[in-house]
Amino acid sequence: MNIAVCICQVPDLPSAVAVVDGSLDLSRVAWVMNPYDEYALEEALRLKERFPGSAVIALAAAPEAGKELLLKALAMGADRAVEVCSSTLQDSFQTAWVLAEAIGNIYGQELPDLVLCGRESLDLQNASVPAMLAGMLGMPFAGSVTALRADGESLEMEREGDDGLETLEALYPLVISAEKGLNIPRKTGIRQVMEARKKPLEIVQASALPDPLVRFAGAEPVSLKKACRFVETPSELAGLLYRGGFFKTAQE
Amino acid sequence: MAHYLVFLEQRGGCISKVSVDTWNRVQQQAAQEGESVSGFVGGPLKPTALGELYGNGTIYHAQDEALSLPSETLLCRILSALVAEEGCTGIVIGATAAGRRLAPYLAETLHASLLGGCAGGSLHSELCRRYIYSGLVLAAYRPEASIRIFLQGREQSRRSFFSTDRPHCVSFDASPFFVPHENLLIRSVTSGNSRKSIAESAIIVAGGRGMGGKDQFVLLEELASLLGGSVGASRSAVDEGWRPHSDQIGQTGKAVAPDLYIACGISGAVQHLAGLSSARTVVAVNSDPHAPVFDAADYGIVGDVREVIPAFIGAVKEVLQKK
Ligand SMILES: Cc1cc2nc3c(=O)[nH]c(=O)nc-3n(C[C@H](O)[C@H](O)[C@H](O)COP(=O)(O)OP(=O)(O)OC[C@H]3O[C@@H](n4cnc5c(N)ncnc54)[C@H](O)[C@@H]3O)c2cc1C
Ligand SMILES: Nc1ncnc2c1ncn2[C@@H]1O[C@H](COP(=O)(O)O)[C@@H](O)[C@H]1O
Repeated sequence: MNIAVCICQVPDLPSAVAVVDGSLDLSRVAWVMNPYDEYALEEALRLKERFPGSAVIALAAAPEAGKELLLKALAMGADRAVEVCSSTLQDSFQTAWVLAEAIGNIYGQELPDLVLCGRESLDLQNASVPAMLAGMLGMPFAGSVTALRADGESLEMEREGDDGLETLEALYPLVISAEKGLNIPRKTGIRQVMEARKKPLEIVQASALPDPLVRFAGAEPVSLKKACRFVETPSELAGLLYRGGFFKTAQE
Repeated sequence: MAHYLVFLEQRGGCISKVSVDTWNRVQQQAAQEGESVSGFVGGPLKPTALGELYGNGTIYHAQDEALSLPSETLLCRILSALVAEEGCTGIVIGATAAGRRLAPYLAETLHASLLGGCAGGSLHSELCRRYIYSGLVLAAYRPEASIRIFLQGREQSRRSFFSTDRPHCVSFDASPFFVPHENLLIRSVTSGNSRKSIAESAIIVAGGRGMGGKDQFVLLEELASLLGGSVGASRSAVDEGWRPHSDQIGQTGKAVAPDLYIACGISGAVQHLAGLSSARTVVAVNSDPHAPVFDAADYGIVGDVREVIPAFIGAVKEVLQKK
């Protein structure tokens, strides 16, 4: 089974992100693999272990070399890692486009059987790249999957819908986005990291990008601080909230 | 002139609350600018299903049973055809789990600008402002495409509509959009519970590690049902196995938008607060007077949840009875 996993990196601590004159300053940020992408990669590795002859390729689109990210993917067990370099990616559409192009170049006419992504990138929380990538590759898309059972022909998946647990059935090829709960990603040690350095890590250049559908137009810092009024007793609080009109639902 | 298509999500024959709010809100905004609105809903409906929808325009209803549980792929085919036929320039989708999966798929198909979670939720503003980096940065995005897709959460649409007009419903033939061997199907939904989803609740009582154990959440259940709200949790409470993951609020859980949020035994980590940017009033109960949650709260009580919550339940019952 041929599996491509799309991975990206996010700030370890969001508080290290600064805003200077309306632009983002990420110079103090320490980067980690997006947690949802760890679920995606772990699931790919489990499938590879179950289906002999499978290959897992980790893919990252990044403006500059995020080699640590790719090494981490290789250390976890990916067979090959590819970083697609391009100028700053403006939106999810451009990101998906770069990934789709790379998948086309790597796999040719025979698309991978599965493309696994994270549900969303924790920093920007677009939750858009996987679905857009599916559209571009002409594959169906199963989002926010929390359980996956695969055999050679078909897949059965679960996810949390708005109404309860949904069960899905699908055939290959398919794009899946991984939700928390899908698995517990493996840890990597020194030995795996050493081995990773021997595996193929390629950096390729993306061709000219299409126009973005959405453009970043500035940012401002946010303070979550409120002036907290400390209340002495629970009954004082109940009185305040009652007068604030919060108990209407209770009276209906 | 703008023409909007509102995707109405159906659950068990009724229009979901988020979709009702979204429809009414779009109607109101469109009316101010003299714009027009259509809607689409799939699956069998109860006779009263459209009763809360006001305003003008047409609602296309495809009755097919298969549309009660549509895949993203199928919905995308139907909606993009409708958009083309009607010449829509805006598509508005409620930010439910299903809506969030559908919107980017549709955006790619239509080459549309996807604007999700815009603060204020206006259809007419030039820029979409939304929170990123756990709510610590407010970024502005400019749509570049001629078609825009808006994903709207509940907070932006709670106002009820003033009009007494009613949209008219026409039936829609979805059969051309079904393919014989659909390669992605949603087979079943097992409603884990009939509880209201926390994403739709006006009042949320949430518990963290400070609750001390699974059993203590009974207190929060009691308070929530007294107030007509629902129970949420911090990641620590979920990781402890005290609550299901679907109750988790924050960066890796749900973003919520209640009128009232009561945080019990929650420290107020930035990742938790990330889910609260749209909460109107926040109350915190914590034994540590320096807990960061108080910095994000409107009202605070310093104390042990095991004492404060039962006393608060008693006090709420009292004020409700006095009325
Ligand atoms: C990438 C990432 C994503 C994350 N996503 C989320 C997320 O989506 N949601 C989330 O919630 N967290 C998330 N976290 C975790 C977050 O950083 C915190 O660890 C978590 O929110 C802490 O939960 P808590 O407040 O329940 O527990 P704690 O931080 O342990 O706080 C417990 C609080 O209870 C108080 N307390 C103890 N006993 C009592 C008592 N008897 N009465 C009253 N108060 C008491 C204590 O003073 C303390 O303030 C994420 C972390 C990371 C790194
Ligand atoms: N630059 C990128 N390179 C590779 N994969 C990405 C990139 N950005 C996003 N993804 C994938 O798309 C998922 C959702 O990201 P997003 O749509 O940005 O929230 C992530 O979890 C990744 O799997």
